[in-house]
Amino acid sequence: MKRALFLASGAAIALAGCSKASNALNDNQTIRRALSSAESLNHTLIGTHGRAKVYSDADVDREFRVNGFDTPSDSSYARLLADGFSSYRLPVDGLVERPQKLTLAELRTMRSYDEATRHDCVEGWSAIGRWAGVPLASVLALAKPSQSARYVIFHCMDRASDGTPYYESLDLTQAAHPQTVLALDLNGKPLDADHGAPVRLRIPTQLGYKSAKWIGRIEVAADFKHLFAGHGGYWEDQGYEWYAGI
Amino acid sequence: MEATVGALAARPEARSEATVYRHSVTTRVSHWLFALAFVVLVMSGLQIFNAAPYLDASDKSDAHRRVLAIGGEQTPGANPTGVTQIFGLSIRTTHLFGYGDDGMGAESARAFPGWMTLPGYQDLASGRRWHLFFAWVMVACGLAYFAASIRRKDLALIVLRREDLPKLLPMQLYYLKLRKEPPPHGKYNPLQKAAYTTVLFVFTPLIVLSGVALAPGIDSIAGPLTAVFGGRQFARLWHFLAMVGLIGFVLVHVTLVLSTDVVNNIRSMITGRYRLGEHEGTGI
Repeated sequence: MKRALFLASGAAIALAGCSKASNALNDNQTIRRALSSAESLNHTLIGTHGRAKVYSDADVDREFRVNGFDTPSDSSYARLLADGFSSYRLPVDGLVERPQKLTLAELRTMRSYDEATRHDCVEGWSAIGRWAGVPLASVLALAKPSQSARYVIFHCMDRASDGTPYYESLDLTQAAHPQTVLALDLNGKPLDADHGAPVRLRIPTQLGYKSAKWIGRIEVAADFKHLFAGHGGYWEDQGYEWYAGI
Repeated sequence: MEATVGALAARPEARSEATVYRHSVTTRVSHWLFALAFVVLVMSGLQIFNAAPYLDASDKSDAHRRVLAIGGEQTPGANPTGVTQIFGLSIRTTHLFGYGDDGMGAESARAFPGWMTLPGYQDLASGRRWHLFFAWVMVACGLAYFAASIRRKDLALIVLRREDLPKLLPMQLYYLKLRKEPPPHGKYNPLQKAAYTTVLFVFTPLIVLSGVALAPGIDSIAGPLTAVFGGRQFARLWHFLAMVGLIGFVLVHVTLVLSTDVVNNIRSMITGRYRLGEHEGTGI
């Protein structure tokens, strides 16, 4: 019995040491930088060229899983929700020749996309929804990005518990992809508050955190380094890859 | 180690120090790098698994097609529990799976415990970083090994052939000490060939391809690959099963390395020199 206890506690100490060692390796900045080098390799090899699989209505999740940050609960979002988003304006500005301020009605008249695609979460799960909306390319064509433009940044209305706003970014190639869309409808109905109303991004060629919800402003820019921690998105600032195709 | 060498020295028939050059530099370097990559990939992979601790035999997530699920619960006033469900069969795995070591000296609800994951604490972003880098190390090792073997024209030495099949049982009986001598064989014995053929041509390609098939970017450019595995979630299940298979191989592999002429075995994978046994050759 004593011997078993001794062995068990020995094993426990060895196992605790295992975590300590792997935590220390993980916290080493030189190692972290070296490991990050795989991202640009994956971005170069995989890119955002292909078309995500399109599903039939039979495959669709009627109750599409709600995830991400909590639905905005501030007074300005409550006002938008109360007036059915009739006072919502989507600014498209920054490095563009013709800055826009689009109403939801204007966006609805531009709807040309309607596809059921799979949402692949970075956590590992997947869900299928039928999304309808405006290809991002159509909105950008209205605003005409200038020569120095390289990125499209999405400023969102939801916030982390510490108050940091959600944001995301795509390069112009990813933004021009025909399946990169500003979604207005999910499963045949206007987006509800929990799914990112009135406008959310859908980019099925990359992981779910790229598909930002509750978009409040679209900014075209030469870079995103000046924003927050500088990695181009809320989750990117927490250590996730900017290129989320894998 | 000293004792083993001494014991060998005392047996004149085993003292012959004539050695052959068994493993090339490419084989040896890729072997050890692959081993390192495998450990990192398993530990970071379990970290990634913890973020969605279930596996479905379907394209999208579907609780009706759930094969494995690991969950934990901590309700105030009750003892915490960890439960592993395989095909709906619940097994209590408290303190190991579902509820256990949080990698920071305490316990919490998490599928695989901190001592099995990289990093130890729960951090999906870091797990992915390790995983997506060392996946390339594993692929590079595999490609280097195959390229060098094909160039030397000796890949055939390790592949199980029809002629080896009748020798499998006698070889197993020899390992079980139910037979005095192994059947005569070439560079690898028939059981080694069976194991290495499975690892090189089934498990490793399966684990690489099913992992790749999980990526939405890959599904977009190579949809048939994801479809072959039965969809994204099914690919995740295949990826996990391939890991279980490779862990099984490693356990047998390490046991046999340690239990049969350990010094000779390990030396052959470090310096390349190997002392041939009585019934071994260097050919097919």
